[in-house]
Amino acid sequence: MADFQTIGKNHIRVDALEKVTGKATYAGDIYLPGMLMCKLLTSTHSHARIKSIDTSAAEALPGVRCVITGEDYPDARFGSGALMDRRIMARDEVFYIGEPLAAVAADDEITALEAVELIKVEYQDIENVIDPLEAISDKSPEVHPDLEDFEGYGFALGGNNCTMLDADRGDVEQGFKDSDLIVEETYHTQPISQGFLEPMACVADVEANGRLDIYASTQGPYQVRAQLASVLDMPIGNIKVTAMEMGGGFGAKLRLALEAFPALLAIKTGRPVKLINTREEAFTLNGPRLETNIYLKTGVTNDGRILAREARSIFDMGAYLGAGPNSGVGHGLGAYNIPNFKLRSYGVYTNKIYVGSYRASGVADMTFATESHTDVIAHKLGIDPMEFRIKNALSDGDISVNGSVIPKNGLMETLEALKERMGLPKKLPSDDPKEGRGVGICVGEWRSGSGPSTAAINVNEDGTISLLTGSVDISGSDTSLAQIAAESLGLRLDQVVVAKRNTDMAPFTGPSGGSRIVYSQGRVVQNAAEDAKSKLLDLAADRLGVPADALECAGGAVYVQDNPPQSVDLGQLARMSLSSRGGPIIGTASLSSLPYAPVFNAQGAEVVVDRETGQVRVTRFVQAQDVGQAINPMGVEGQLEGGAVQGIGRALSEEILIDKDTGEVRNPSLATYLMPLSVDMPEIENILVEVPSADGPFGARAVAESPGFGPPAAIANAIFDAVGVRIKTLPLSAERVLAAIQGRPEDEYRMDVDELRSAEAP
Amino acid sequence: MVEPYYSLLDTLRDEMQLTGTKKGCDEGDCGACTVLLNGKPVCSCLVLAHSAHDGEVTTIEGLANGQELHPVQQAFVEYGGLQCGYCTPGLILAAVGFLESGEEPTEENIKFALGGNLCRCTGYSKVIEAVVAAVPRPDRGSGRGTE
Repeated sequence: MADFQTIGKNHIRVDALEKVTGKATYAGDIYLPGMLMCKLLTSTHSHARIKSIDTSAAEALPGVRCVITGEDYPDARFGSGALMDRRIMARDEVFYIGEPLAAVAADDEITALEAVELIKVEYQDIENVIDPLEAISDKSPEVHPDLEDFEGYGFALGGNNCTMLDADRGDVEQGFKDSDLIVEETYHTQPISQGFLEPMACVADVEANGRLDIYASTQGPYQVRAQLASVLDMPIGNIKVTAMEMGGGFGAKLRLALEAFPALLAIKTGRPVKLINTREEAFTLNGPRLETNIYLKTGVTNDGRILAREARSIFDMGAYLGAGPNSGVGHGLGAYNIPNFKLRSYGVYTNKIYVGSYRASGVADMTFATESHTDVIAHKLGIDPMEFRIKNALSDGDISVNGSVIPKNGLMETLEALKERMGLPKKLPSDDPKEGRGVGICVGEWRSGSGPSTAAINVNEDGTISLLTGSVDISGSDTSLAQIAAESLGLRLDQVVVAKRNTDMAPFTGPSGGSRIVYSQGRVVQNAAEDAKSKLLDLAADRLGVPADALECAGGAVYVQDNPPQSVDLGQLARMSLSSRGGPIIGTASLSSLPYAPVFNAQGAEVVVDRETGQVRVTRFVQAQDVGQAINPMGVEGQLEGGAVQGIGRALSEEILIDKDTGEVRNPSLATYLMPLSVDMPEIENILVEVPSADGPFGARAVAESPGFGPPAAIANAIFDAVGVRIKTLPLSAERVLAAIQGRPEDEYRMDVDELRSAEAP
Repeated sequence: MVEPYYSLLDTLRDEMQLTGTKKGCDEGDCGACTVLLNGKPVCSCLVLAHSAHDGEVTTIEGLANGQELHPVQQAFVEYGGLQCGYCTPGLILAAVGFLESGEEPTEENIKFALGGNLCRCTGYSKVIEAVVAAVPRPDRGSGRGTE
């Protein structure tokens, strides 16, 4: 391994002091003179025509400055995903309970709330559809009968099917014929919330020249700017978005959320307007995840080779196509080389809250299904689950599901590391007949995210540098980016200033999502640092009278490699540059995407299952992930631990409960939506496997997405090992486990495959 | 002016602009708004401002001594016990309240004491490590060696 100065060592986060002292400023912490408070009126009907909205009483309330409805926005649709299927505020019709209908700006929050209650809405109900398996049938009421008119329409099958993705290779029927064993199953995953602690918040202000000034809690300031421009029909250049500190997003804050409400109110009143979502709105307005139904059919030989896979998944999209069902295809094979496959993934509209992104949307659902299925097959074949995985694991040069060649990666190393740390295979004996103990494993797979990335580095007159990127720090990435810049220029971390940014000041970059920041943004920071370095060397070459390629940059100076005392420090070079031919030194770099770099994470859970109550306790959790090169190991561990714990929550307790008749969210609070607490968690053991990627900065791969995928399957597999029952529905609640132990049928979620087949795209 | 229905949380934030105390749910479920009231951790969203009138309230802004961080703040920094930072002020005050309560600072008791504070980013491991490290001990070392 290379001998790094800054990379690979634990560093205190660059934002740590602000955050432990309460000085970090989130969007809700902004108070501007004359600021109004905004509150929303949302729909109480799941599918209805709006006959009338009467805002007169609200407008007459003292202290109310403005009330807006859907009619106040340009008559245009926009989209969070491929389809332009959504209005920012309901206009003639509502499609789910919780859909925004009106917004009020008032002198204070209480007045705004009172005004909201004074708005009268007359609805005329339309038949709704809540169950996605019902919605996909051609007998179902249609959520959007005008689907074919939506811009972006093209991948839909019609009816409520708003998008369909497919991938095929080889001859899947022949593969099944050649197989000794065929296993066919269905799995079901639950609606879940990203559970970010900071409800979405926004302050909108209008500058004297009419430009909108938006302070947002967002992962994607440029996406918010573009979508805001579209829903307000304004030029992009008239909007400035400042990404404030963000209190957790996990995908929910990738796109335009609530910003258009205070924005329009600010335009209409000429005053700053603040809107902060309530916790209830955090569950209903911002695109959580809905249920997924997954059908899997796999053919294997007796000696444990997988020959063929058919997968069909139905993703409930709710009222609008947010994050699509890509993972149903992209992750239908798992981490295995399967020569013949036929993968289909359907997105279906229902009259419910619409879905958004959550830590690699849908991949966790697919991983629960495919990795439980992998375990089922291994047991049926009588092969150890780890050996079965190793036997079928993808290796360098295999072709991935999307046709790209699998580059060098650490899949085998992560599997071996997990096997060794947990001492697999093993049985966990229990002396207590009331409980069973078991161990289960799982492998998660993600690519390293990419997309447009830019960076600029200024060399200051004292030899420190200022790093400017447009990316939002959601996970300690600013610290990693600073380390990358420092390493590239031979500086200490405290010589790097990371600028706070807005869309006017920082160059364009894609959103902070898909684990792309350290991989892609990190790479572009490295390139910008190299650019700055080459300019520094050129200046130093003139000064020292030696060729630039005889020079190196380290310790805050440029020196002659053969004679280090002959040197000039960076501050001096920066000062010289001010009057040099090339002008002040600025290193810049830009890229549109980096090649595919897979990330594998192997996880193992040890559980105790109480046979009398069905209660499952995770007593040990181990994970090994190929991180390529850990930039800040302490930060990497934090990402891995946080991801795993979100996955454990999804496995055991988290579920958004949806009313079967109205689609209403029944538990929009943190008292009833059960996220893990400190008392629930086992210690997480992390193994950092480092197989460098070809293109990431210093070999780094993405970290954050993968650890969240595996826990549900690892724990379900461990439950099977412990007490011999197979739970195919999430969460793996005590009720469900107990019912299975007592031989009562699990709530059976079945997918009508024939129906889907008849809906096949030509 | 503090209206009779104002919570301590809204008063701190909206009236005094002490925004280090965070609102995560306004229902007492998340712990992000934890402050010390007469030394004991409370959810400030569940306390009416007027009922705290004669009490001593410590918020995150009042914990450090000038530039010198409180040992719990210092431990969160050194052990990476934070990510997005939104739950951090509440967690730190819950930990300070516990460590000053006189209860035995075992790891299990610490986990229990922080049981009312949700954190979605860290998975709690590094938070617990930080609080364990902040337990006052005469022989305490200087941390895990972050640079």
